[in-house]
Amino acid sequence: MSDAGVVRLLLFRVGRLTCAAEAETVREILPRLQATRIPGAPPVVAGLVNVRGTLVTVVEGWRALGQPEPPTGSDGGTTVLLEVGGGRRVLGFTVDEVVDLLTVDGGALERRQALPGIDPTLVRAVGRRAGHLFVVLDTDALLTPVMPS
Amino acid sequence: MDLSQYAELFLAESREHLSACNQLLLAWERKPASLEPVGGLFRAVHTVKGMAATMGYAAVTDLAHRTENLLDHLRRGAHPATDELLQLLFRARDALEQAVELSVRGRERDLDLSAITAELDRAAARAGGKAGRAAAAREPPPPPIEALAAPGRLVQVVLRAEAPLKGGRALLLLKRAQALGAVHAVSPPPAAFEAEDFDGRLAFRLESAAPADQIRERLRATGDVESVTLPEEEERRAAAPAAAAGAAVEPARSRHLRVDLRRLDGLMDLIGELVTARGRLNELAAERRDPAIDDVTIQISRLTADLQAEIIQARMTPVWQVFDRFPRLVRDLARQLGKQVAFRVEGKEIELDRAILDELGDPLMHLLRNAVDHGIEPPAERRRRGKNPEAEIVLTALRERSSVAISVTDDGRGIDRATILERARRDGLVDPHAEALTDDQLLRVLARPGFSTADAVTNVSGRGVGIDVAVTRLRALGGSIEIRSQPGKGTTFVLRLPVTLAIVRALIASVGRERYALPLTYVAETVELGAAPTTTVEGREAIVLRDRVVPLVYLRQLLGVAGDAPPPRRPIIVLEMGDRRSGVVVDGMLGQQEIVVKGFDAPQGTLPVFSGATIMGDGVPALILDAGGLV
Amino acid sequence: MSHTVLVCDDAIFMRTMISDILAQAGFEVVGEAETGVQAVERYKQLKPDLVTMDIVMPDMGGIDAVREIVKHDPDAKILMCSAMGQQALVVEAIQAGAKDFVVKPFQPSRVLEAVQRVLG
Repeated sequence: MSDAGVVRLLLFRVGRLTCAAEAETVREILPRLQATRIPGAPPVVAGLVNVRGTLVTVVEGWRALGQPEPPTGSDGGTTVLLEVGGGRRVLGFTVDEVVDLLTVDGGALERRQALPGIDPTLVRAVGRRAGHLFVVLDTDALLTPVMPS
Repeated sequence: MDLSQYAELFLAESREHLSACNQLLLAWERKPASLEPVGGLFRAVHTVKGMAATMGYAAVTDLAHRTENLLDHLRRGAHPATDELLQLLFRARDALEQAVELSVRGRERDLDLSAITAELDRAAARAGGKAGRAAAAREPPPPPIEALAAPGRLVQVVLRAEAPLKGGRALLLLKRAQALGAVHAVSPPPAAFEAEDFDGRLAFRLESAAPADQIRERLRATGDVESVTLPEEEERRAAAPAAAAGAAVEPARSRHLRVDLRRLDGLMDLIGELVTARGRLNELAAERRDPAIDDVTIQISRLTADLQAEIIQARMTPVWQVFDRFPRLVRDLARQLGKQVAFRVEGKEIELDRAILDELGDPLMHLLRNAVDHGIEPPAERRRRGKNPEAEIVLTALRERSSVAISVTDDGRGIDRATILERARRDGLVDPHAEALTDDQLLRVLARPGFSTADAVTNVSGRGVGIDVAVTRLRALGGSIEIRSQPGKGTTFVLRLPVTLAIVRALIASVGRERYALPLTYVAETVELGAAPTTTVEGREAIVLRDRVVPLVYLRQLLGVAGDAPPPRRPIIVLEMGDRRSGVVVDGMLGQQEIVVKGFDAPQGTLPVFSGATIMGDGVPALILDAGGLV
Repeated sequence: MSHTVLVCDDAIFMRTMISDILAQAGFEVVGEAETGVQAVERYKQLKPDLVTMDIVMPDMGGIDAVREIVKHDPDAKILMCSAMGQQALVVEAIQAGAKDFVVKPFQPSRVLEAVQRVLG
């Protein structure tokens, strides 16, 4: 992400955190889909979902970002399909809700990585919206626990 | 006219003919006095020449022409095969192959064929010295189509493919035709009947008022006649546009059509989705209980199944398409390594899904290389051990229940278990006190990446890579590999593969709230846990089934499935893979169904017991258990 | 009445085999010849209904024998016995007057089919 120029971001909420992903990496926003557990996979992997005939691995947002587990039975939730690894793969990421689509000036984002309770490798930058902080995620880093190195 | 659209067809057919050339050269090498391989080579190269000339590939045409010229001299002079000639022809064949491949890619300019063409010409000149007179007597056959403009009815005859000496038969047929009326414009001219490569197709004009049926009957009585076609039939078949003059000398057209494999893959994907949708429809219909909907559902089910069977059949390819390159490979390797090998291929006609077959080439090549390089002994050593100095390597394809077993067997020294055991102990792969390795353990050790016991690293098998590569590839295809080795007697590798890849019948089992699919390919039977007593063998719980110990695998524990305690009486799915069996304990059976196999990106840590995933009728994915990982 | 046959071949093995095939099918083998010259002599002497003629024989080849026999009896019914790869020779024999041919190795059914065609 360039410091100068305009960046479009999709903002979503995971637990108490507001996060963002670059809109151009977002392929689709879907309701939460029933995932099939993959035995042996790390807990952060929710499982496999069926997106119109294609199998997509989904990462559990609250686990990845160290947020409390949402109350069971709340049928809400959204799956954001992200293009990762330079568009070669598609990964699902579960969030509580999508908040906004935002256009910000790249210069307004801070390169701050250390945030309490969050894996620093996932944080790309921090921005502000209406006085609240949001975390711009490094979506490629989400791939790390998922894909074999 | 745009020829580029024919390039792929040209490539595919040329490859087939050049592959046949390898077989023919090997046949000639085995029987140096035989003329038939030379005739076959001549025809194959001639065909390639004709196609290349049509495509405008001058270099291929020229090289093919010079090769053909040499072969013609050899054929006419009845030259026996010599080592020198064989080497030259093998090289010419390789050069042709390269020329074909490059020409199709538009890189004809990169070719330098001057050395090989010069050699071919020199050899042809030498061979021509002995057969010069015969060669000079040869005249180009006149174009057959002209012959058709003459009085009388056009009669086209095809002799049976298996008929011997078709020229003689054709002449007898003409004599019978002459008894019916005047015969004109025989094509090809009767002089061609004397040629060994006369293919048994002829056409002529017959001035006879006899009814077509009578003519046909009289001509058929010549014996060995496949078909006799007269104008009456011609008109009836007018729907076929090929029934013009050109077809007159080629009445038996092949009914095959070449299809781009990607098209078949696309079709397969679509049918996969159709199968999934059908599953969903079945469920909905079951909920609705409406007889009208049931009827349609049943009809759609049947049609889908038929469609699927058709496309699967269309994808089936005989294994010779991959096997045919191996005789040459084995021969070249054996020469290079100073070994003597008789190589046999059995079950060439067995069919496999094209996609599986394409993946098989490399693993088989590794295994064959291993067999030549490490498996069999040098001739001197074999003689010392009282064996035939010529070793035997056999490649066999065999259809089993719903899988195909492909084995590579050599009669060599067998795998040196002591050395491997030592290595395995040192590397901590087995218990340091282990006394011996079973065949299974042996395979597991050999399949470790980079594990090598080759005393000398040669450029043939490299550093022992091969078996690990083969095992990985096979697993990915839902197959398995098995090894049997006896010291001094030889080694056999057996590869087992599903016949088709994309859609398989599977048992759907439940474990807790989860569902898993088990392809029927390796399911031998199901029994009930609790109905038969369990025992403990080598620390593992097992059941005894018809005097055989079947170790149990509890899926609930293996897969870490949460949930309530399972019922005491549960199904055991008995898997069988070669000699090995295992009983997979599940919570319940949800039935059998066709599943569409899809790959998925397995996250780190995923248990190595899945071969893919599928989408169930309700749209939710289920993982497919890999029998190879469970047995 | 059964048909009479003259079997011409230089190999005893082949003569025995052909004779057996024909005898079992009800033919009467009235004579054998092991050279072309013998074949012509025996034909004139025995006047068989059918001759089986090997192509390659010492002394006088089978094709020349066919020519001689046909010169003597244009209706002679001669069945050539050939091997694979003898296309040109078979064509020559037919032009010389042979009525049909069979190819080694012999299959009894094919031999008998050819015999029926020649006699039919």
